[in-house]
Amino acid sequence: MGIADRGLPGNVVPALCAGAFCLLGMTQVLAGERLCVTDDRDRAVCLEQPAQRIIALSPGVTELLFAAGAGEQIVGAVRYSDYPEAANDIPRVGSHTRLDLETVLAMDPDLVVVWVSGNPPDQVERLEDLGLTVYFSEVRNFEDVAHSVRRFGRLAATGAEAERAADSFLDTIRTLGEQYADADPVRLFYQIWDDPIMTVNDSHLISQVIRLCGGENIFGDLERLAPRLDRESVLAAQPEAIAAGGMGEDDESWLEPWTGFPDLPATAAGNLFFVPPSTIQRPTPRVAEGAGILCEHLETARERR
Amino acid sequence: MSAAEPEARSAGAVPAAPGLVRIWPPLLVLALIGVGSMLLAVAWGSVPIPLSGLFAVLTGDAEPLHRTLVLELRLPRVLAAFGTGGLLAVAGALMQVLLRNPLADPYVLGLSGGAAVGALGAMLVGLGALAISGSAFVGALLSTVLVFGLAHGTGSWTPTRLLLTGVVVAAGWGALITFMLVISPTERLPGMLYWLMGDLSYARSPWPSLTVLLLACVLIAPLGRSLNALARGPLQAATLGVAVRPLEWGIFVAASLLTATAVITAGTIGFIGLVVPHMLRLVFGTDQRLILPASALAGGSLLVLADIGARTLIAPEQLPVGVITALLGVPTFLYLLYRSR
Amino acid sequence: MISLATEDLVIDIPERGDGTPLSLHVESGQVWGVLGPNGAGKTTLLHTLAGLRRPRSGRVLLDGEPLAGLRRKRIARRLAVVFQERQDGFPASVLETALIGRHPFLSPWDLETADDIGVARAALRAVELDGYEARPVNTLSGGERQRLAVATALTQQPALWLADEPSNHLDLRHQVAVMRLLRAQAAEGRAVLMCLHDVNLAARWCDRILLLYPDGTACWGPTATMLVPQALEGLYGQPLDVVEVGGVRLFVPRISVSLRKR
Repeated sequence: MGIADRGLPGNVVPALCAGAFCLLGMTQVLAGERLCVTDDRDRAVCLEQPAQRIIALSPGVTELLFAAGAGEQIVGAVRYSDYPEAANDIPRVGSHTRLDLETVLAMDPDLVVVWVSGNPPDQVERLEDLGLTVYFSEVRNFEDVAHSVRRFGRLAATGAEAERAADSFLDTIRTLGEQYADADPVRLFYQIWDDPIMTVNDSHLISQVIRLCGGENIFGDLERLAPRLDRESVLAAQPEAIAAGGMGEDDESWLEPWTGFPDLPATAAGNLFFVPPSTIQRPTPRVAEGAGILCEHLETARERR
Repeated sequence: MSAAEPEARSAGAVPAAPGLVRIWPPLLVLALIGVGSMLLAVAWGSVPIPLSGLFAVLTGDAEPLHRTLVLELRLPRVLAAFGTGGLLAVAGALMQVLLRNPLADPYVLGLSGGAAVGALGAMLVGLGALAISGSAFVGALLSTVLVFGLAHGTGSWTPTRLLLTGVVVAAGWGALITFMLVISPTERLPGMLYWLMGDLSYARSPWPSLTVLLLACVLIAPLGRSLNALARGPLQAATLGVAVRPLEWGIFVAASLLTATAVITAGTIGFIGLVVPHMLRLVFGTDQRLILPASALAGGSLLVLADIGARTLIAPEQLPVGVITALLGVPTFLYLLYRSR
Repeated sequence: MISLATEDLVIDIPERGDGTPLSLHVESGQVWGVLGPNGAGKTTLLHTLAGLRRPRSGRVLLDGEPLAGLRRKRIARRLAVVFQERQDGFPASVLETALIGRHPFLSPWDLETADDIGVARAALRAVELDGYEARPVNTLSGGERQRLAVATALTQQPALWLADEPSNHLDLRHQVAVMRLLRAQAAEGRAVLMCLHDVNLAARWCDRILLLYPDGTACWGPTATMLVPQALEGLYGQPLDVVEVGGVRLFVPRISVSLRKR
């Protein structure tokens, strides 16, 4: 088991077929033939049989698997895997920053989905050394979300459901994109953490959502993916709107401090918007929902001009 | 005095070979405790394995899962824990003799901080494992030279002055570490923090720490009595025939190497170097010929036991073992300090 | 036989002139007393003679060889030092402390033999510390600690004793015992040089005297010629009365009538 023989074209070619057309034919796999997909590190991940015992090493991956119709097959998840509701009942294998390798092994998984930028590299390496089949997931844009869902569907032999989910996600995104393609730009500050104040740059999925809605991420040019900022630099940047998450799905307390700066354009116009963090901060199909919320907020900001 | 000598002989004849009698039994007991703690650690994890399963691993016809858990996950980690604990305890014991101060410790004197800065810096730049090790050693040694050089500066140094210099240098390293954490990629922060708190899940192979520990014990063994002399102060040691300066520098290089190896294996784990030698001295006295090898064994056992806690206390969540050693070490040390007044 | 000689030795005391270069010759059978007020450099001289400090100029010869060129271990087999101050961050037992005196005679892998322990026990008995073997040194009184320091040096079986105020902290009985022990050492062919603040101890027990003045000047010679009121009054800046007890001249400070106790 483990990482597949990369050289075999029979394994690689179907993995490269991303479209629904190609995949429909692929879901019916003959017994004994290997299932192969390419993961986000461009490695071929192959299984002898559809995955029955999956371990998901980030809350986002858990959501993606559920979206792909493979939620039933998840036997282990990490802390904060809370969506959909059923994810709360999955046994835990630690937190995404520190895994309990013993528990992972004891679950005898046939597929481990790793979060490249979230899980500790040394522990992931250990999982590979122990002979587990590892899929490296790193979702950076809308296409990645759809691709991941489709691939997971293939690996778990739930392709039809996965295709529907991926298509519906891309449809929503596409519709939003068309709707706001010619909208006036809104200069937005997006706050993902409160203490220290953190935002995202343009390589982050959130920034892509902002662009989709016709917004402009005022800190998009910064070098780091999640830059730390002080209040002064936000004030100096004079955002027209501020959007923020919170410690929960309805906790708007991060926006309060901004009301203390009445001269700030965003505050003056009342453009302090809350976006439930789980709908936009996790790279999953739920981003479509978060994108809808953010787009509406930006439209509100335009109307208030 | 000459008249008393025959009588003296007969009195001294009771412990015929005092060293052998006094040194080996405690070491044997500590070695047994070490083996016991390692067996316990191998048997006990977040996934329960029945005793029959453990025996099956020994005989070679175990379930594959049990085999993997015991031989590939637990055993290397347990051995690395033992090696790391031993390294830290011996480094602490050496520094304490050098400064004639039971509060001396690789952490207090900034050696660990230097090693951590060296290792973190190399990691940030993206260097390989060997360069990280070298960089950590350079960091620890730099700390040593800095502390000794600054404290030595004008004329003689007192242990108190040296200790204070070490504390300030350690604080400086702490600031550098924070700086590096701030500029490092956000997604790597949790891993780095775990490493800084001391975490044995980073220990891939136990052999570097065990090799360095064994080597250090063999090299230090013949120096035991000289260290006993040094513990009475450098002047007294010199009049007893000890070449004080070379010995002091030897200890500093050795302590740097031991600390750097421990830091590379498992990050910065505190209090082992402080508490283990201190407790051993309370039980066994101050003879370095016993205390140094005993520190290796007892330090190893203590970290092995602490790591059981780290792996299982809130399983499947994992604690950094440094948290456990601090939780054990701080109250123990305060109590020892209070009692020793 | 032992000889410790200095050639034009100037000890290094910061911000003090060179004073009198010392050309001493300490030999078997002699007991030297170094007298001087506080800060005259008695301890510095003792450390320089032991090779623990560099002299400003001149040199020290041990058995005719320059001390600076000898290995510490070789020096330690000839010469022991009783220090005024002791460190015990790690208090060992009394026996262990005395036993460390065997260090210069043991190779790194050696453990102490029964003979070594015998020497240490005999030394403890000589200073009346037998029965204290297992006591941690930090439980001893100041006087007991002082006697233990003497016992440690005794265990070292040195040909030359360098002792810094060996009578410190001692009650009268033990002062006499320690002085007698040192005299006996000299009588057995060893040599003793000790710093003393008590002129009368020097008068009683020493046969050679070195007077060390705060400005670095010095003079030395047989006790009878050195211990005269004029020299000592100059040394301490204190008028003295001389009394004679049992054929020995002793010195007591002369105090003006108004200050005397009523």
